[in-house]
Amino acid sequence: MLIGIVFVITVGAFYLIHLLPGDPAVVILGTGDSPANKAKLYAQLGLNKPIYQQYFVWINNIIHGRLGNSFISGDSVWNTIKGAIPIDLEMMVISQILAFATAIPLAMRSAKKPDGLLDRILSAGSFTLLSIPSFIAIVLLVLFVAIDLGVPHTGVSSYVSLGTDWIGNLESLSLPSIVLAVGSFVVYYRILRSDLIATLQEEYITMARSKGISQRRIMWRHALRPSSVALLGTAGVNIGGLLAGGFIVQFLLDIPGLGYLLISSIGLSDYLVVQAIVLVVAVGVILINFFFDFLINIVDPRISRE
Amino acid sequence: MSQSQQLLVVKDLATTFDTPLGPLPAVGGVSFDLNQNETLGIVGESGSGKTVLSRTIMGLQQRRNVTVTGSVLLNGFEVVGASEEEKRKIWGLEVAMIFQDPMTSLNPVMRIGKQIDEILRVRLGMDRKAAKARAIELLELVGIPSPQDRYSVFPGELSGGMRQRVVIATALAGSPKLLMADEPTTGLDVTIQAQILNLLEEIKARMEMSVILVTHDLGVVATRTSRVIVMYAGRIVEMGTTRDVFSHHRMPYTRALLEGSPKVSNPSHTRLKAIPGRPPNLLNLAQGCSFAPRCSFATDRCRQERPELESTGTPGHSFACWNPLPTTRGASA
Amino acid sequence: MFVQETIEEVALADRPERKKKLGVLFWICVVWLAINLIAAIFANFLPVENPLIQNYNAINSSPSWHHLFGTDDLGRDIFARVVYGSRVSIEAGLGAMVIGFGLGAPLGMLAAYRRGKFDSILTMFMYIFLAFPAIIATIAILSFWTPRSLLKIIVVIGVASIPLVYRVIRTATLNVATKDYVIAAKVQGATDRRIMIKELLPNVAPIGVSFLLIGIATVVVLEGSLAFLGLSVNPPTPSWGNMINEARTILQVNPWLAIFPSLAMCLFLLCLNFIGDRLRSHFDVSESKL
Repeated sequence: MLIGIVFVITVGAFYLIHLLPGDPAVVILGTGDSPANKAKLYAQLGLNKPIYQQYFVWINNIIHGRLGNSFISGDSVWNTIKGAIPIDLEMMVISQILAFATAIPLAMRSAKKPDGLLDRILSAGSFTLLSIPSFIAIVLLVLFVAIDLGVPHTGVSSYVSLGTDWIGNLESLSLPSIVLAVGSFVVYYRILRSDLIATLQEEYITMARSKGISQRRIMWRHALRPSSVALLGTAGVNIGGLLAGGFIVQFLLDIPGLGYLLISSIGLSDYLVVQAIVLVVAVGVILINFFFDFLINIVDPRISRE
Repeated sequence: MSQSQQLLVVKDLATTFDTPLGPLPAVGGVSFDLNQNETLGIVGESGSGKTVLSRTIMGLQQRRNVTVTGSVLLNGFEVVGASEEEKRKIWGLEVAMIFQDPMTSLNPVMRIGKQIDEILRVRLGMDRKAAKARAIELLELVGIPSPQDRYSVFPGELSGGMRQRVVIATALAGSPKLLMADEPTTGLDVTIQAQILNLLEEIKARMEMSVILVTHDLGVVATRTSRVIVMYAGRIVEMGTTRDVFSHHRMPYTRALLEGSPKVSNPSHTRLKAIPGRPPNLLNLAQGCSFAPRCSFATDRCRQERPELESTGTPGHSFACWNPLPTTRGASA
Repeated sequence: MFVQETIEEVALADRPERKKKLGVLFWICVVWLAINLIAAIFANFLPVENPLIQNYNAINSSPSWHHLFGTDDLGRDIFARVVYGSRVSIEAGLGAMVIGFGLGAPLGMLAAYRRGKFDSILTMFMYIFLAFPAIIATIAILSFWTPRSLLKIIVVIGVASIPLVYRVIRTATLNVATKDYVIAAKVQGATDRRIMIKELLPNVAPIGVSFLLIGIATVVVLEGSLAFLGLSVNPPTPSWGNMINEARTILQVNPWLAIFPSLAMCLFLLCLNFIGDRLRSHFDVSESKL
């Protein structure tokens, strides 16, 4: 089933790209070059074969681990992409750690005292944040904050890789990670809070209370687990979305992640790179979903039993 | 009986809810005692306040719209007005509660073994091995076959009767002196009901525990309790030894309750007498005796003045009625 | 008996039941959205400047009586551009949702109700489309499908949203279709059409409306993102996304070009989200179902 999905996606990616207008020959040779040269280039690149043949060539290459060389830059596609993947991973990890580390305790506090001061502030606050798109957040942050604080925000590749300088690395990724984290926090907080409140009404929580268990333990050991199902499901979707849609943040802040690469490759009609990225992203999303489905099963075995 | 021997002393306990429709006195002025090794039954229809009473005695009310007045002395510890932290000290170790629905009393995503030995590990500081061993012992005690294997199952994998046994095991883990059982068998099959009640009796004897059995089922009360409290509209209307209340009751409501429940001794096809009218609306309690509107013996005084509990003459047996049934004690009393 | 139990239940409930009223803020949001809508439709008749006129005497000016929001770097009135710019967002949001719901919703309901082969095949297709990262496809398509136009944007986003709408509506309908009262209606001989309209629709509608509002909000944000990639409407047509993008380069000189469209967009989204949230709690739709 999984393979079927991936297969379909590869077909889709391939055909989609090739349906698009945009001619790599034009890009490479420039417009106005002679048709003869174009034809020669086509033959060279294997673009003169019928589409389905091209597809099989591509798939065959992939299965053998060769993503090919970009038409445009001549570089191996893998080389181009491989630098970007760890960046995405790092941003995801940092932002999600931040998001969960804040959402879980705060949701617990709010669920303990619904409609209390903290709860109302957080509800209003998270609601407002929910309504601020990430690009606006970045632009406004840059406007009001970064200019003054000198946090690297613009300029070509302000990103510093982990190997070079880990402090610089964290610095350069801080703004985008925080923006992503806030977006995730808002969603996780609301869902967890509402599920926790529902769970706390259950009789087994009263039973746990009547055993003299502390509030804290009840919250973490008894209430959190049954309330996490929706949270984990959402996390899966959310993180998948970050992978696919994090491009705007990367683009704005010059972080050379997959999203950034995708945009520039589309602009250059660099088919192979685009295809490869689509493939990687799609596979990544599927893996993430599987991972979270797995987690959900651990947390709540009832699901599989049903 | 001297004070020190009494496990539980309840005095003028009243629980009022502050609802959007006005104050609701779910329990109004209840007083009784409980001794060691006693089984006390609290009977009443739905809405009589018996469940609220049981939770108030435990001190489980935590809603912000609840006011509790009076006193509940559990082994010398005053429950009313105590902070949650203080109450936690007695919960599980001195007093434990089991609830009506075993489906919802157990955490569905936690293995039953963990739920049973939690109190041992967290409150009594036992290490994992010892706690597990004790939990398995408890499982055996409540009659669960192959307890070692069952230790790691989830509640969903057990039948209703088994689940209730697990709930009982969980409650017993801390060796409480008082077990509050709120309709423990109502959700179960009739055949299982008897098993569970037998189990409770066994355990009570073995662990020298007192039990408060809250139920609407008179059949349960008749055979399993030594003393009974009859509740109506949040108050005690009759109380005494089970025998006294069943055979020598004075309050017409008690009679009506008894007549309304099926008895094996009745000839077949006996019609059960339903009590006419409906239970009172606690928000709008009328003056006088709450049962008066439905009572065939009600007098004017009944409708105007609320009767207090008075003794029948037999120690421990009291009732609240202006126009009680004539005593059925003959010269033998 | 019932009255008594209900009272006890109410009393025993942990907190007094939250009144599910819609509230003042709800209506304020509705009014604000209405204002946006009216302004967008009737902009030509309102006392608002022409958003395209460039006035080189007033470049990057701060807000004043003449130019309520100031002017941009080509001397155009920001207020006018914000008002006219709302058209893009509103049209995109509504247009895409019309396509998405127009096709996705009936298909979803039909598939859920009829089940069988029709459902299996259709759902499989839809789920395959869902597995594909739609945003990337959207960007790719819009990059190459020149010249730019709002219609193309609406069509692409709309079509891309069909599988999503399909899934949500289908799931919601499935939940309702298995309920006893629907089966009862069937047994009573009601026609399929009647069942769909009378039983299914009212129960699926709350979820549908919630998702609709979320959808509009998402599309509005999407337009903004696309604008940053240069994929939204062409200049000089104003759109909120365009304006914020243009503002990036002149942030220090003219913050107003960034602030006002951002404010307009955020308020719009805030109201949408708030209304959606209130409706959700009013109709008791759990968030996780979306």
